[in-house]
Amino acid sequence: MKRLCTWLLLCCLSPLAQAFDLQQLSEQLARPEVIHGPFIQEKHLRALPQPLISKGRFVLAKNHGLLWLLQTPLQQDYRITAQGIARRDGNAWQMLPNKSAGAEQNRLFLAVLQGDSSGLLRDFELSLAGEPQQWKLTLTPRSVLLKQVFNQINIEGGELVQRIELMETQGDRTVLRMQDSVATQPLSEAEQHDFAK
Amino acid sequence: MTLRSERRLPRLFLILLLAVLALAGWQWRHGAPLSANLMELVPGVSPDALELVAEQRMQEPLNREVLVLVGHADRPHAIALAQALGQQWQASDLFDKVQWTLQADLPALRTQLLDGRLAMLSTADRQQLIDQPQAFIQQRVQALFDPFSGFSLVPSQDDWLGLTGRIQNSQPQRGAIQLDVGSGALVADADGKSWVMLRARTRGNAFDMNLPLQVADLLQRSRDQATQAQGQLLAASGLLYAAAGQQQASREITWVGGGATVGILLLLLLAFGRLRVWLAFVPVLVGMLFGTVACVALFGRMHVMTLVLGSSLIGVAVDYPLHYLSKSWSLKPWRSWPALRLTLPGLSLSLITTCIGYLALAWTPFPALTQIALFSAAGLLGAYLSAVCLLPALLKGADLRPAQWPLRLCECLLQAREALLARVATPILLGLLLVFCAGGLWHLSTKNDIRQWIGTPQHLTDEAREVARITGFQPTSQFFLIRADNQAQLLERQTALNERLDQLVGLEKLQGYLSLNQLVSPPAEQQRVREALARLPAFWQPLLDLGVPVAALQAELAQLQALPVQDIDAALTGPLAEPYRTLWLGPAAQGVAAMISLQGLNDAALLRVQAVDLPGVQLVDRLGDLNRVFAATQISAAELKLASCALIVLVLIWPFGLGAALRIVALPLLAALCSLASLGWLGQPLTLFSLFGLLLVTAIGVDYAILMREQIGGAAVSLLGTLLAAVTTWLSFGLLALSSTPAVSNFGLAVSLGLAFSFMLAPWAGHRAHDAVLEPAS
Repeated sequence: MKRLCTWLLLCCLSPLAQAFDLQQLSEQLARPEVIHGPFIQEKHLRALPQPLISKGRFVLAKNHGLLWLLQTPLQQDYRITAQGIARRDGNAWQMLPNKSAGAEQNRLFLAVLQGDSSGLLRDFELSLAGEPQQWKLTLTPRSVLLKQVFNQINIEGGELVQRIELMETQGDRTVLRMQDSVATQPLSEAEQHDFAK
Repeated sequence: MTLRSERRLPRLFLILLLAVLALAGWQWRHGAPLSANLMELVPGVSPDALELVAEQRMQEPLNREVLVLVGHADRPHAIALAQALGQQWQASDLFDKVQWTLQADLPALRTQLLDGRLAMLSTADRQQLIDQPQAFIQQRVQALFDPFSGFSLVPSQDDWLGLTGRIQNSQPQRGAIQLDVGSGALVADADGKSWVMLRARTRGNAFDMNLPLQVADLLQRSRDQATQAQGQLLAASGLLYAAAGQQQASREITWVGGGATVGILLLLLLAFGRLRVWLAFVPVLVGMLFGTVACVALFGRMHVMTLVLGSSLIGVAVDYPLHYLSKSWSLKPWRSWPALRLTLPGLSLSLITTCIGYLALAWTPFPALTQIALFSAAGLLGAYLSAVCLLPALLKGADLRPAQWPLRLCECLLQAREALLARVATPILLGLLLVFCAGGLWHLSTKNDIRQWIGTPQHLTDEAREVARITGFQPTSQFFLIRADNQAQLLERQTALNERLDQLVGLEKLQGYLSLNQLVSPPAEQQRVREALARLPAFWQPLLDLGVPVAALQAELAQLQALPVQDIDAALTGPLAEPYRTLWLGPAAQGVAAMISLQGLNDAALLRVQAVDLPGVQLVDRLGDLNRVFAATQISAAELKLASCALIVLVLIWPFGLGAALRIVALPLLAALCSLASLGWLGQPLTLFSLFGLLLVTAIGVDYAILMREQIGGAAVSLLGTLLAAVTTWLSFGLLALSSTPAVSNFGLAVSLGLAFSFMLAPWAGHRAHDAVLEPAS
């Protein structure tokens, strides 16, 4: 009987002992230096029967920022760095005016992709479920202001982030899929160049 | 020895004194009738009522708002600290409103954006919609795919054409301040710190006597608290300047008044060797009382600057008793009433000439100087009356034992002068003096700036500059006032001006501006937008290709066509209009009026040019106008000076004759010239204030010349009387020169220099052939 109890107790405790926590997730997501991959963005607008779908590639470099290269239905390159957001205009990067709300959202976006949970904890309640190879992180806004914009943000992934879903209060929904990302490829010369300017 | 009239005089004077005291008590029944508002001291240059209203509107936030940046290396810490301080401030009961978060009312914002789709579109967006509808649609399609455009307040299905997003993005930037979405705080990042903006609006304004000091105290406590939490506070507010000004004024009144008092009492004791001679200070006190009462009676209240400058009156008022006290060197035994009788004509002349000098100040367009002139003239009258009516009775039977060394000193001085004159003749000395003057005048520069009136502590200006750098807010005191017959014309006039201002912004001569037509476009433009929208169906195929239902687009278009033309009043109701509300002056005497506020101005002259040939547009530049008035007043001050001299000559002709009168007035004029030259040699600028100081030099210097001319009791005794009078006056004006308010110190310096020269030149007043006037006394 005593043995059984101990066994039961251990059974209950073991998931806790091995529980995958935010700290581990942050470490896991912060590990790769550079991530390359394709993305599909679906914007589900409440009033449209089918989503607005766009596709492209992205490059996330730990110490630089994010390149977001939209390819269809139109071509447009974006770059998000600590300095702000820029759009490629011909050969040059054009810094976009730093709109408070937009800048905040982009900070969030980088924090999500890089697993910077401390950055997210400030504005959201985080709840993590699953294990390192398949997890789901749910973000619920804390502040009155954010609650008026987002209902919830869901992030799913394994080794890397695979799917981000933003659910807006107004009923619109954006889904980002990043299924085939790789963390093995270093920055190409052109990419280094893009971050440098 | 004492006449019957002399027995009645003290009683009569005491009755007068009691009456004045009672009046003073009544005037002070609600506390000190003091004011610290600098603007009460400067000439009212704008006779226009609308301009005054506009100015008050622009000044109001400066005098009532405190802007604090709460800085910390860690943003959440900065926010928490700002929150804590905000709550303390709210609880302090000093403020109407303390704000550190943006209370965004999103539903109201959405409504305003949707209702303003025709009226609030920026010029560039409007132009694109009208001229390049294809590109307009293309950009909308791009924006729908753009993951980084930021969240738009209005959902796409309510605004397929994206007009609200464009309006949202074209709103003027709030400097470098960003919204921290999590907390709603307004934050700027600079120097490795996050700075949370805290704004507080006081209940009263900067010119309530106690409020600025209370706010400064609270701020200091908050600073300490922030420092303990490893944070830092930066603050900017007109209230802080007011607090510093008040503290400085009370410090200086203590210094100048206290310093002069102690010095004069010491001097009296040293010279006359009897404590009872301190009664000579009674006329000073009576003078101060009379001055204050007259000032409050005429102006309702008294400015602290009048008190600072007025405290120099101590040194002048004490000269009256000194006139007859100094006769104790020659009249032996000295008796108060006979000594007074002997010096009464000189005393009265001195009162008249000095009052002429002070009252000349009253004719300048400066309320500040009018107050000082009235204060001083009334004060001198009070001092004279008490010196003539009361003091002799108090000193009756006093046995003065004047020390002999001052007399010997004066004799030495006179001998030295004789020795000098034996070697170098007066005309040569005069020539040398004129060369000195010419050289000094050559170096003299003029400077007139309202900022000289305020002794601004460096740390306050530094901090305000820091705040401006971090937040990007650089409010300027200049603004444009636009008048028009109706709202449509007003907005069109603003558009015309804004085209010019945009060029200045492009050239980085101006950082930015805020104008009502950025919020609402003229009715004609709204109509053009409406017409352009009606043509849009020919171009919106790309949107249909995305799957946007054509019915939705048509419904939206119908809704847009039905939107009424917005006027200014309607546009000002929504939350986005908050910064614009102060700009709207509404219906005025003729038509309507509004202002355009400016940010980060480099060159005021450039602005003035912008208003040229734009009807109804006027640059209001109070500081610039004032500085111009200062410069213009310099000339009229010089004229006043000459006029007052002429008047003094007229007064002096009767006792002395024309030749002597001219000579007596020429000496202080020469002294004033020397003082001017000395300012030049010292590298000090000539300001309006030093010029006013020189006006006084003439008035007081005449007194010395008269004393030397009359020579009651001999040359040495007269010189001693002059010396005593001069030393007491130097004491008080010299202490003014130490003031940290440039205007006050400049004034003090000019007067003390002028008086020094007046003293040196006084012996040249010559002496009249003395006759029986002196004999009965001895």
